[in-house]
Amino acid sequence: MNTSFDLLFEIGWRFASLSLLAIGGINALLPEFHRVVVDIEGWMTSAEFADLFALAQLAPGPNAMVVSLLGWKVAGISGAFVATIAACGPSSLVSYFAIRALEGMRNGTLRVVLQRALAPVAIGLVLASGYTLAKAADRSTGALALTLCGAAAIAATRVNPIWILAAAALAGVAGIA
Amino acid sequence: MAPHETGKLPHSITRATLFVAFLKIGLLGFGGVLPWARRVLVEERAWLTDREFAEMIGICQVLPGPNVVNLAVMLGARWQGVSGSLLALTGILFVPVMAVLILATFYASVAHVPVVRSAIAGASAAAAGLIIGTAIRLIAGLRPPLRSLLLAAAVFIAVGVLQAPLLWVLAVALPAAIAVEWRMQR
Repeated sequence: MNTSFDLLFEIGWRFASLSLLAIGGINALLPEFHRVVVDIEGWMTSAEFADLFALAQLAPGPNAMVVSLLGWKVAGISGAFVATIAACGPSSLVSYFAIRALEGMRNGTLRVVLQRALAPVAIGLVLASGYTLAKAADRSTGALALTLCGAAAIAATRVNPIWILAAAALAGVAGIA
Repeated sequence: MAPHETGKLPHSITRATLFVAFLKIGLLGFGGVLPWARRVLVEERAWLTDREFAEMIGICQVLPGPNVVNLAVMLGARWQGVSGSLLALTGILFVPVMAVLILATFYASVAHVPVVRSAIAGASAAAAGLIIGTAIRLIAGLRPPLRSLLLAAAVFIAVGVLQAPLLWVLAVALPAAIAVEWRMQR
């Protein structure tokens, strides 16, 4: 067996074994990913891990792409794809069968009850993640103002978010953030 | 596999439009994909109402895995079966992964340029606002009863402000919410 195959296999089972634990998304598992790739496997330093996390936040696409970047750092392009499929595959299968089961319930009382109960919990969690990100991003009054403007623009207008982000980036260059 | 017959299947949802919609969500989703998911699925395409969107997100939050990845799998499955799930996943995840790998190769050389850092600081602050605004939009769209507003507020305070572990919050909030909603149905 050549080592690169062994390495891909190692990434695969390490990440796949975490997939079903990621309740609340990959960010909830970041400490665990850090423990595996930095402390146990020694694939990268803590600083490199933090850089990849920052890049995943900046890049378009789901923040879960941090796992792709971790795989890329360890074993290049093939590492990125193995890591992504391993981390998202098992949870995606669960989601697939969960929605099938839920739709199978038709419009029974249980389904209505579940949906009515889940929606407010989801909204609370969305608000919490916005708040957590704002706390990390808003290190100045200007940045706080940008957050509030962004929230108001989305809540009260139909302007395309890309313009909000572009304007905020310009404001940042102008020294506001 | 045929799409499920629960509810109506909007005519505009083909495999191609499904892929393009999730690709758009994936490629534009700077600083969090959720605001874009709501924008594209609820506002632009009108494939879901705010209520349906919030309910789907709720299911995604409870299941393991990245929420928006789960959302892609579930909506793909609902509208176009297995191939729909795979197409939605490719659009929201695999194409953006290739984009981020290209970005990663020259990120190191620009990451410390002051102008880049200032632009990122500004955009990150606004991106947090987009997520907060999306939550407000969902509340406005759902016009939930007082009990639901109180539940959302409690979950926000527990997870956002008090930083309580998500699993514990879900373990308390979900059974309580289900019990209350069950009684309301009687």
